[in-house]
Amino acid sequence: MNADGNVGRTGGIRPEMRTGAWVALLLLWSLGPMLWQLYTSLRTPAALLAGAGGLAGGWTLGNYTAVLTGDPPFWRYLLNSSVVGALSTLLTLALAIPCAYALSRRRVLLRLLVGGGLLAAAVFPYVLLFLALLQVARQLGLANNLLALCLPYAGLQLPLAVLLLQAAFAELPPELEESAVLEGFSLWQRLRWILLPLMGPAVVSTGLLVFLFSWNEFPIALTWISRSELLTLAPAMARIAGSSVYTVPYGAFAAATVLGSAPLLALLLLFQRQIVAGLTQGAIKG
Amino acid sequence: MSTAASLRVDGLCRRIGGRAILAGIDLEVAAGECLALLGPSGCGKSTVLRVIAGLDPCDEGRILLDGRDITRQPPARRRVAMVFQSYALYPHLSVERNLTLGMELRGVPPEQRERELTAVLELLQLSELRRRRPAELSGGQRQRVALARALLRKPQLILLDEPMSNLDAQLREEIRPQLRAILSGGRAPAIHVTHDQQEAMGIADRIAVLHDGRLQQCGTPQELYHHPANLFVAGFIGRPQINLLPQADGTVVGIRPEHLVAVGNGGLAVRVLSREWHGASQQLLLESEQGPLRWTCDGNQAVGDDLRLGWEQRHEHRFRQASGERC
Repeated sequence: MNADGNVGRTGGIRPEMRTGAWVALLLLWSLGPMLWQLYTSLRTPAALLAGAGGLAGGWTLGNYTAVLTGDPPFWRYLLNSSVVGALSTLLTLALAIPCAYALSRRRVLLRLLVGGGLLAAAVFPYVLLFLALLQVARQLGLANNLLALCLPYAGLQLPLAVLLLQAAFAELPPELEESAVLEGFSLWQRLRWILLPLMGPAVVSTGLLVFLFSWNEFPIALTWISRSELLTLAPAMARIAGSSVYTVPYGAFAAATVLGSAPLLALLLLFQRQIVAGLTQGAIKG
Repeated sequence: MSTAASLRVDGLCRRIGGRAILAGIDLEVAAGECLALLGPSGCGKSTVLRVIAGLDPCDEGRILLDGRDITRQPPARRRVAMVFQSYALYPHLSVERNLTLGMELRGVPPEQRERELTAVLELLQLSELRRRRPAELSGGQRQRVALARALLRKPQLILLDEPMSNLDAQLREEIRPQLRAILSGGRAPAIHVTHDQQEAMGIADRIAVLHDGRLQQCGTPQELYHHPANLFVAGFIGRPQINLLPQADGTVVGIRPEHLVAVGNGGLAVRVLSREWHGASQQLLLESEQGPLRWTCDGNQAVGDDLRLGWEQRHEHRFRQASGERC
């Protein structure tokens, strides 16, 4: 960029301006719908019907109070989703870390074969499974059990998690573990003190992917849970949208959307550094 | 630092996919002795270390440490410490934690940990660096931390896998005597793998030359230099390389470049092709009817000079051309 500036003094800031314009456009493209929801959630129904885009008058927090004082109140769904998300994530990681470690220490051929199977499982459209899963839930009496949702969620996310973590294990230099072996570390001690701390970013980004899936999952949650105080976020939102035959509660729906995405935003901001490090792992030499 | 022990390796074999990486290696290292495993890259010298440490399986042969057979023992129970080429320091831990974590997990009580840590930091001049992370250390400092970690293991055997290869030439020369002093200060035998003969001669009491998975010769640096057992050792040990002159009777005569002398008549007729001046000596590349020759001398020859060279009988090495063995 310096070179550009030196060559064309007259148009010195033009490249930066162009970059800025592109960034602004991209931000608008990806953040636009969310900003629109935020705007909608803060408008009275009358203001919404009067026409889009008005800024004068018609501001209200009524949509939020309506959603939060509903029956059951909206925070209940947030809590349900958080519990299911956290448990699914923990369960997936607890199963995926040993699998990934074992796989990364196998011979290349076996790793490729198993990896191929896992990849196939990871890209399989799980929606095709939900009727069968519903039968399973009925047979085992898992319907209307919030914690039971973790089982299909962990099961469905396990292949991807194993693949991601296996790659992260494979990237650690083997001498690190060999050195720990010679020092007398047990397998568990090697994982706990040497390998996992070095894989922090990969574990965090894998965990977040699982959490996101569980947070957004709709068909299984919809069919396994029918009691309204046990609903997770996605089916609860659908209920708000379809609560009345005669009107569409735009404002309340938008308020629910904003409230539902707030915890995710908080999580992403909290783990931002690890996520970026996890995504670029292997791109630069440690 | 450790109890006296000796290492004996009998007929060590290692095969990968039907190919013999090691074909029957016999070694013996006495307590307190440092043996250098020297050989070109790919000769299997690192594999010897890995098999002795238990990181690679031993397909045939026996490894005896202090009289006990450790061939089938898991690596953690062998009481063997290794300094890796990359040092393998735990990057997320400070120097101090790198050194104490192992002791802590082995259940060494805190006071003893602190005492041993202080002693080893002192010995290797690391006291000032104890709070730093490996990334904040220079290559030489990292190597010392790796060595400190190996010593704290109180090993009955220390293995060093090319520990100098990541250091610059000047630092290597500085470190060699220190490393030698530290290794001989402990009573544990040490095996030092290197491809650098200078390093091997500078550090080791004895050198084992390895080539193609076979032991070529094992002896003191002087033995290897003055009595190479075969053509490979003769060519590998000594810089500049030995001159090899094939004879009509199916033997090869080897003459070290520094043993050639200018003679008035007789000897070999040569012409100076090129000249490198090294201060104390000069290194000449000569042309003769038997092919190119190397000569180290302190005279003042110029490129293009014609000379006659000879050598004393006692400096002559004779090998069989077919087998490469010494006559």
